[in-house]
Amino acid sequence: MTTVQFRAAEAQVPSLATRARDVVAFEWTKLRSIRSTYITVLIAAAVTIGATVIVGHAFASAGAHKPLPGGFSTTVASFLAYAEYTVIPVSVLALLQFTSEYGTGLIRTTFAAVPRRWALLAGKAVVVGVAALAIGEVLAFACFAIVQALLSGSHGGLSLAHPGVIGAVLAGGFVLCACALTALALGAIIRHTAGAITAALVIMYLVAGLCMVLPSPWKDDIGRFTMAFAASQVIALHPQAGLFSPAASMLVLAAWPAVALLIAGIVISRRDA
Amino acid sequence: MIELDRVTKRFGPVTAIDDLSFAVRPGHVTGFLGPNGAGKTTTMRIILGLDAPTSGTALVGGRRYQQIVCPLRLVGALLDASAVHGGRTAYDHLLSVARSNGIGRSRVAQVLELTGLSDVARHRVGTFSLGMKQRLGIAGALLGEAPVLMFDEPVNGLDPEGVRWIRLLLRRLAAEGRTVLVSSHLMSEMALTADHLIIIGRGRLLADTSTDQLTKSSARADVLVKSPGAAELTSLLTARGAAVTAEGDGGLAVTGLDAPAIADLAAQHGIAVYELVPRQASLEQAYMDLTANSTDYRAGAFAGNAEEN
Repeated sequence: MTTVQFRAAEAQVPSLATRARDVVAFEWTKLRSIRSTYITVLIAAAVTIGATVIVGHAFASAGAHKPLPGGFSTTVASFLAYAEYTVIPVSVLALLQFTSEYGTGLIRTTFAAVPRRWALLAGKAVVVGVAALAIGEVLAFACFAIVQALLSGSHGGLSLAHPGVIGAVLAGGFVLCACALTALALGAIIRHTAGAITAALVIMYLVAGLCMVLPSPWKDDIGRFTMAFAASQVIALHPQAGLFSPAASMLVLAAWPAVALLIAGIVISRRDA
Repeated sequence: MIELDRVTKRFGPVTAIDDLSFAVRPGHVTGFLGPNGAGKTTTMRIILGLDAPTSGTALVGGRRYQQIVCPLRLVGALLDASAVHGGRTAYDHLLSVARSNGIGRSRVAQVLELTGLSDVARHRVGTFSLGMKQRLGIAGALLGEAPVLMFDEPVNGLDPEGVRWIRLLLRRLAAEGRTVLVSSHLMSEMALTADHLIIIGRGRLLADTSTDQLTKSSARADVLVKSPGAAELTSLLTARGAAVTAEGDGGLAVTGLDAPAIADLAAQHGIAVYELVPRQASLEQAYMDLTANSTDYRAGAFAGNAEEN
């Protein structure tokens, strides 16, 4: 009888596409069935939009037809709140996809269901990456629209039709995707929530902060490899001269999650669960 | 069918599994026994591909677990019932696991029904008692209708009714021709459920035998004798080559002569016998004898040290 059952199980071997869809469905079902996923995203969105309104007002009241305070370009000014109030909570949500499973022991059920660990990592990356990109694009366009509407009176806010604007705003959404995927990988590598959050904040913000205080040539030479410097280049309408071009900065932004996921894949494949 | 071939697992200097080989056959409930820390859970993790063995191979249906496509359709396992996310409902937990292996929603409803969780399916798992989580874990193991099933300590936290339910379920799964491996540190529970036993201690195989065989092979059968002429009877029995041990309550534990021989001897010498009870070592005792040298954490050892101090 067992032989028959084994043969029956063999006969049902699904195609690679079906198996890939199953792993994505597995991860998506887990992500969407936790209430805190929605709460986190909604609060992040509300705080981002609220803070963006405040930032927009501050710039609008700074005086008509003068450069914006701090030398910010009008596109970069749109993302000042987004860069923290969206990026941090969504990144934490991303790293929790691994750390909460390690914390509860659910990771063993997960690995028993999908023993090919690279496939599992890919499944989580697809779900987290697509979700973060969707959230990122929606909020990036919302923030841009809010700030430009507030600036339109005093500074003549930009429209999406202005050359280069669409690209800069789309890139703003991609920044969230890159940060979330880097955080996901850190969750897999570090396994503990607190440690992974710390590592994510160091990589996304503190490294760039350290570069800011370096003497002149080093600040840009080293800083252009950080996520924060690269992000500011891709969302700017007029990129800074000393840093990488926006195209090269996109590559830097893509390289961080790529390398982090590569390390995560190697680590989780070798480690006992 | 589960086959382990010379599996060794070391964690740094500690050898958790030491050259362990055994096969678990279909159609039986196989009890997997050993004291705490004997390596039962580690062995099960190796079978499921969660831990990599230092050397040796563990195969399920002739293949390494990692090579199995849709493994939940071949192997259903309950490792740790509390390893669930408390914020997810029972239904969503099972649905996510089911989808990972292309198992449909109707099967999720079936296993919820089968484990008596239908009424609480939409409740969050964080509100569940240990017994309910245990049932949820069993529901998860049954999702794929797999021919091979493994349960790590499934009766933990269950009430007597639940324990009986598990026992009947395991027997039914085996009767359907499935391979059923159940770990426990309670011999008494396994004696009622398992027809085959694999016993390990300190990561080594101590016994791989049928439950009946283990009881019979135990050398601890003796006869309890109570008599007012215990002293006289003792010397007579010893003269006949029997070994006599005085028990605390004035009874004698006699080995080497059976009950009729003892009765005849007493009658010949006019000694009254109040009680004459042939005793078989229980499975529990056989198990204790087997594992006596391989128990990591024994209460007595600590008590002894305390007295020395």
